[in-house]
Amino acid sequence: MSNKSTWLIRAIAGTAVLALGVTLTACSTASGAASNRPENVIHVAVYGDAGNTVEEAMVKKFNATSDVKVILDRIPGANYQQKLQTIISTASAPDIFFNWGGGSIQPFVKADLLLPLTGMIKDDPKLESSFLPSVFNAAAIDGVPYGIPMRGTQPVILFNNKQVLTDAGIESPKTWDDLLASVKILKDKGITPIALGGADQWPTLMWYEYMFDRVAGPDLLTKAIGGDSSAWDSKDSRAALTKLKELIDAGAFGSNFDSVSFVDGGSPALLRTGKAAFELMGSWEYSTQQSADKDWTAANLGYATFPTVTGGKGDAADLVGNTNNYYSVIKATRYPDTARDFLKLMYSDEFVQAQLAIGNLTTTTSTEKFLDQAADPTYAAFQFTMVQDAPAFQLSWDQAYPQSASADMHTAVAQFFSGKLDVDGFIAAMQAL
Amino acid sequence: MKAKPNYIAGAGSVIWLLIVLVPIYVMLTATIQSQQGYAAKGPLSLPGSFTLENFTALVSSGFLAYVLNTAIVTVSVVGIVVVLVPPLAYAVVRSRSRGISLVFRTFLLGLAIPAQAVIVPIFYLITVAGLYDSLIGIILPTAAFCLPICTLILSGSMRDITPELYEAMAMDGATPMRSFFRLVLPLSKGGISTIIVFSALQAWNGFLFPLILTQSASTKVITLGLFDFQSQYGINIPGLMAAVLLSMLPVLLVYLFARRALVQGLMGVGGK
Amino acid sequence: MTRSDTGRPRHPGGPNAGRPGFAWALPATLFFALFAILPLIGVAVMSFTSWSGLGNPAFNGLDNWVKLAGDKVMMQSLWLSALLTLLGVAIQTPLSILLGTWAAGHQKNRAILSAIYFVPLLLSSAAVSVLWRALLDPNFGLPGQFSSFFGGDGNVLGTQAGAIAVLTFVGAWQFTPLHTLLYQGAARSVPPVLYQAADIDGAGTVRKFFSITLPQLRNTIVTSVILMVVGGLTTFDTVLILTKGGPGTDTTITAFYMYRKAFQSFDFGVASAIALVLVIIATTISLVLVRVTGYDKMHSVQEGI
Repeated sequence: MSNKSTWLIRAIAGTAVLALGVTLTACSTASGAASNRPENVIHVAVYGDAGNTVEEAMVKKFNATSDVKVILDRIPGANYQQKLQTIISTASAPDIFFNWGGGSIQPFVKADLLLPLTGMIKDDPKLESSFLPSVFNAAAIDGVPYGIPMRGTQPVILFNNKQVLTDAGIESPKTWDDLLASVKILKDKGITPIALGGADQWPTLMWYEYMFDRVAGPDLLTKAIGGDSSAWDSKDSRAALTKLKELIDAGAFGSNFDSVSFVDGGSPALLRTGKAAFELMGSWEYSTQQSADKDWTAANLGYATFPTVTGGKGDAADLVGNTNNYYSVIKATRYPDTARDFLKLMYSDEFVQAQLAIGNLTTTTSTEKFLDQAADPTYAAFQFTMVQDAPAFQLSWDQAYPQSASADMHTAVAQFFSGKLDVDGFIAAMQAL
Repeated sequence: MKAKPNYIAGAGSVIWLLIVLVPIYVMLTATIQSQQGYAAKGPLSLPGSFTLENFTALVSSGFLAYVLNTAIVTVSVVGIVVVLVPPLAYAVVRSRSRGISLVFRTFLLGLAIPAQAVIVPIFYLITVAGLYDSLIGIILPTAAFCLPICTLILSGSMRDITPELYEAMAMDGATPMRSFFRLVLPLSKGGISTIIVFSALQAWNGFLFPLILTQSASTKVITLGLFDFQSQYGINIPGLMAAVLLSMLPVLLVYLFARRALVQGLMGVGGK
Repeated sequence: MTRSDTGRPRHPGGPNAGRPGFAWALPATLFFALFAILPLIGVAVMSFTSWSGLGNPAFNGLDNWVKLAGDKVMMQSLWLSALLTLLGVAIQTPLSILLGTWAAGHQKNRAILSAIYFVPLLLSSAAVSVLWRALLDPNFGLPGQFSSFFGGDGNVLGTQAGAIAVLTFVGAWQFTPLHTLLYQGAARSVPPVLYQAADIDGAGTVRKFFSITLPQLRNTIVTSVILMVVGGLTTFDTVLILTKGGPGTDTTITAFYMYRKAFQSFDFGVASAIALVLVIIATTISLVLVRVTGYDKMHSVQEGI
């Protein structure tokens, strides 16, 4: 018996030592993993969705001539950003990764994980000069460029069902008062004025983004993101929230928007079937509707800019949305030169044409001359003019803030809409981010 | 047993039948409709159109590979459990070593350790071991978290083997190894099939470990494939329903052909 | 069968020869220690650090715990977890006992129906959740169709009560088949002699159910409730897919809040503290259940200690 117990004690002690050992190694290898990066390949992580066909083609083209091969890792969209932050400081980190610029890469820059692209741009100035400056600069942190634009820009647009508007005898609203008037007319006809996928929370956020821009101008958010949380408590901020509340209380979104989801196809279907007249959504609404009903989309999907607010500080041409997507490079990469050569493809004519063909709107200076090759030239031209003419293009708040703030931000945004938070409650929640 | 039929129970059972079947009906009819058809007619109506588009789209999107991955994970997890648990349960029931009761109590407590509570350290363990984004990386922790309940089930069933039988074996000078293979295993078939069914279901349905420990399409399992369907750019319900249906088909086949074993196995979970 | 263990006389230990040593338990124990116990120690340590996943964790003493103690969402999540678990037990237990004992009969229609009842069990939690998410769309799902009969706007996921009701219902839809099966198996092993005796005494169906069936199912009830409690406290897939913890934070249960803190807010320190709370609660509850019901005696090593 006794020799068995000592044996057991030894076994437990052994396990404990092993345990500690592994924990310590885990912690120490978690950071700085340059030495154990794979050889002769670079990994490129992209947001996994229908747009991957172009990226696949680019990788194939690149690998045909390069000794160091590119491996494309498609990470499922819904989970992309969580996954990225989880792996970026481990040996499994990608060499090049897709992001939204701004706050989506800021924590990585702070943690000294990203490669400043200044050197690359010195080697090849076209990596900067080939893109619209407003877009290129959205991925610079403290003036240092960290991202090369890829894919396209995705402004948020006020979509409508042309048929419903015609039947109701209204037009897409030019001003806030027009919108409130249309809401009343539509409600009287028993139509939900605006479809909103409140269950997803981020579609709700788009309403704040435009309201704050129109009422307070783009500077308020720049201040708030810069750390001046008093901006949220300003007169303009309160005015924007009050206006928004007015719209909600007018029944513009119906009563069950918290159960409707864009992701599940609920809100696009409301618009398509004429149960709702408007939907505020990113430019991808078009392809979403198209994949559900091509003929309807061509004939009946209307689009227009967001209405102006009388007396507001924002320009009527200001935009919000995803400025663009970017590729950033991590510092630990073994092959920065290969990364540079791969990034050069992002301003090639071939890339621009391929992106346009699948409905993405690139932001290279060359884009304009290829617009007629887009999947839908009218829609592409509408968007391109909008982006080109916009004095300010506010990146979606949940991308502009660090990822860690987005869960709390989404909660506050949804709670103000459902009436659980009042103006003061919302301001306090945003200040706590 | 009873002479007259029990009408109240009968009515109750039919109501429950409806609750079970309505969603299944909606799922089945949705899978054969186009997106417009589904949105236009509502979930409960008879399908107005017929298309196999949803299935062909699913197959060409690589969903079948996810089914294969899930099958590999399931078989491996069952393999690990079947190799590790019987010796442990045997020791729990028969060993007189003092450490055994400590081990068994630890496993009892292990029942209450939720996988998500330890997911962060497990993530680092798997990353350090170089197993991130591999099927093995899913298999190992999934199997580990099956151990407590399986040990509980199997040791319960092994305890039904009477001590007299063990003593008879011992009288004949049998080593523990011999008793294990000649006596314990043959008499624990019921318990072993229960742990097979249980661990297989755990592995087949596993969600959290694949969610955190894998990322690429080549290691994707069914549950994650379903979750990813809800990507940011919108989905179509009929396509999603087809995926749900396809995800249950393999289990349905097992159910149809091995219903008795499956049901007996599951009953075994509560048998003690 | 259910009584045999507790009723069996204890055997004063036989000869030591022929008994397996500790080595038999070693592989499984090491494996479990590596993937469960060791990470648990890691979580305990991490709950005293601050870490965003980038760089190295830094010790910050009791900061996370202080933060957690004043966190309204955390406190609410504990109540929600308890509420959802209790609702689950309160609804599924009677339902599955009734269905299980009913299905235990050998009539043909019962056999067919119980085969159909089994179907939800073939679906994974992820599949069940996406299925119901699609069915619950207020305009194009079931609520839309029902509201044309019963009124209402189908806003089932828009209110706290509605969302909790949905989670409870979907949980019952998914797990009642499993528990029904447990009770069906147990009810079938009730010795028929007991019922025959009751018949002779002229007892009715209801009487027989309460004085024979229920007491005979005692051990199964314990097992089933423990499974429900542990399962309820750790519910995750369903919340993530069906409600995302919403509306607002109205269905953010502790297990989901932990995930949100770790993988959405990247506050691994606080997340670890929540995880530890979760482990302590789940362990305490199952210990109490095990003690109160005598489950451990039923299962613990009976000889040689």
